[in-house]
Amino acid sequence: MAEVKITDLRKSFGDTQILKGIELKVADGEFVSLVGPSGCGKSTLLRIIAGLEQESAGSISIGTEPVSGIRAADRNLSMVFQSYALYPHLTVAENIAVPLRMRQMTRWQRLPLAGGLMPGAKRREQEIAAAVAQAAETLEIGALLDRKPGELSGGQRQRVALGRALVRAPAAFLLDEPLSNLDAKLRVHTRTEIAELHRELGATFIYVTHDQVEAMTMSDRIAVMMGGEILQCAPPQKVYADPDDLRVAEFIGSPKINVLPAEADAMGRLSVLGRDLPIAVRPGRQTLQIGLRPETLHLARGDAKIVGRVVHLEHLGSELFAQVAVEGLQGRLVLRAAPAQAAALQIGSEAGLDFDPASALVFDAAGMRVREILTAPAKSLAQAV
Amino acid sequence: MVAVDMPPQTRRRAARSPQTMAWLLSAPALALMLLILLVPMLSALVLSFTDYSLGATELNWVGLDNYEKLFTRSSYEKMLWATLTYVLVVVPMSVGLGLGAALLINSLGRGREIYKTIYFLPVMATLLAMAIVWELMLHPTIGMVNRTLEMGCGTWIESLWPWLADGCANGMPIWLGDKDYALWVVCFIGIWQGFGFNMVLYLAGLTGIPRDLYNAAEMDGARSAWERFRLVTWPALGPTTVFVVTITCIRAFQVFDTVEALFPRGGGPSKSAYMMMFAIYEKGIKQNLIGVGAAITMLFLLFVMIITVIQRRLTERKVHYS
Repeated sequence: MAEVKITDLRKSFGDTQILKGIELKVADGEFVSLVGPSGCGKSTLLRIIAGLEQESAGSISIGTEPVSGIRAADRNLSMVFQSYALYPHLTVAENIAVPLRMRQMTRWQRLPLAGGLMPGAKRREQEIAAAVAQAAETLEIGALLDRKPGELSGGQRQRVALGRALVRAPAAFLLDEPLSNLDAKLRVHTRTEIAELHRELGATFIYVTHDQVEAMTMSDRIAVMMGGEILQCAPPQKVYADPDDLRVAEFIGSPKINVLPAEADAMGRLSVLGRDLPIAVRPGRQTLQIGLRPETLHLARGDAKIVGRVVHLEHLGSELFAQVAVEGLQGRLVLRAAPAQAAALQIGSEAGLDFDPASALVFDAAGMRVREILTAPAKSLAQAV
Repeated sequence: MVAVDMPPQTRRRAARSPQTMAWLLSAPALALMLLILLVPMLSALVLSFTDYSLGATELNWVGLDNYEKLFTRSSYEKMLWATLTYVLVVVPMSVGLGLGAALLINSLGRGREIYKTIYFLPVMATLLAMAIVWELMLHPTIGMVNRTLEMGCGTWIESLWPWLADGCANGMPIWLGDKDYALWVVCFIGIWQGFGFNMVLYLAGLTGIPRDLYNAAEMDGARSAWERFRLVTWPALGPTTVFVVTITCIRAFQVFDTVEALFPRGGGPSKSAYMMMFAIYEKGIKQNLIGVGAAITMLFLLFVMIITVIQRRLTERKVHYS
């Protein structure tokens, strides 16, 4: 078990920069997810940590040792691949035993037939068999040990791949989208299991996924990557509630955050779609954007800040999402409502929306978060209410 | 269990049992198989017990005479010996070289196409044409091979290589005319011509191995190229290998054109390169001894069948298709 520290890591293929100065420190025993859309460089980053790919610049250290120039086999890491990468000709037990056989037995001991006669080989084999049995027990795949991967279902293969990773105690576990080949139901189930496994082992996990729900539900911290950079690395609730960047706010959260154009006047007072808000930023005329999570929007009781027309409804049982088209806005606003409010939301009907100005996330024109939010001067406050 | 309200016609058709239907549907294929494969084979089997020759008005049943000849006459003993030697030398060598070349070419970043083409050339070239080139190269006096060897005479190489010293003193070998060398020359040409084909098959097999498996092997601690080969490449090439070995075996048993082209008098010096296929041709067609030719054909089919059975067994047990 060890911490993993990445300093100013860069990777380029020819002229294309894939990673642009990654800084990340994963503490010992921490579960960190690298999440981002496809092509953001998250898998490349994981493969560089693993040593399967060479960095162009920067450094990585595992534990206290810098590992630049050390090959993957010598970095003491375990990896679970998206395709599981099980050896098709070996049984489940043999697959799980491979990392131990490769590392703990000499070349002569590994020889077929004759290897068994080598001094110490018998004892080693027994130790390895015991370790395999224990890993199988942890993952509840004891009954499958004699089967070949071709005879297993996707979920079972995934477990075997996990077993092969955890049969020894590596410095860290690297998981590259291990759940993406499973069906939705199994994914939810396995998600919980991996998170529990992490708590049980107390090991360092680095988990790559494009699914923000996976990242949110399993991780201690999420590193949101886009365009070869880590935009924000923070615990899930902070990334959701307090994003640094509009792209982070848009990527995390489902349904997507609503983004509205906003204006700040010379005093810094904000207005949205011509309505003044009781909040202000630093004085100075500028264009801003405000982000509103679907749950911060609600149906207005009196005077509505935003008026639109309901165009689509999604009933999810416990909640209801309404898509509202607003004049002057390109996209639709998504509003979360309680099922009890369904009567007030009819497709085609007009809906007045309101929100608590304090819950609005303000971003500048470039998408950077504006954290310095002031209460607007009294005059405009009176106007807004 | 036919539904009651079906129209009468449908009911009558459905009444025909599925088994009858199956036989009816496969009848054309079965008839063709009988006509094209089994009947000729059976007639060859029958002929192998007779003294039939083409154009003869009558034929006599000679029982096992033809077969007895095969196992007693020295020329047939030579035939079996030459054929088996050829198969046992050419198959492992051309499979091994094919695999080696494929692995080397696969590891190249650039220039793959050039090497592929070069190694594949002998496969595409007609062996009859190539045989002329080989004959020229192996000519005892003006041939390139002996000329090159003679260049080593009188140098330090001679002291290291007794065979060359012997050649320098007593004359270089007459490759195609010496019964000690003729069979090996034929083997060499067989390997030269065959391994490019195996290489192409192995290259196709190699492209089918998922890259993730190599990454997994690296993560699991397989450090050397040999360990990666043992853990990933070789098992993944299992199906390819079974196919390559079978095809090469059958092609090796069928060798004919090399012998026919290189030895105008047939079968090489004192029949040292008297291959089975050539014997069938010589007996059955040239000398019109159909009975004997048919007997050799039966023996040939037996060998091919043994190989096929072994291949099937291996495929079922050892080789893993994922």
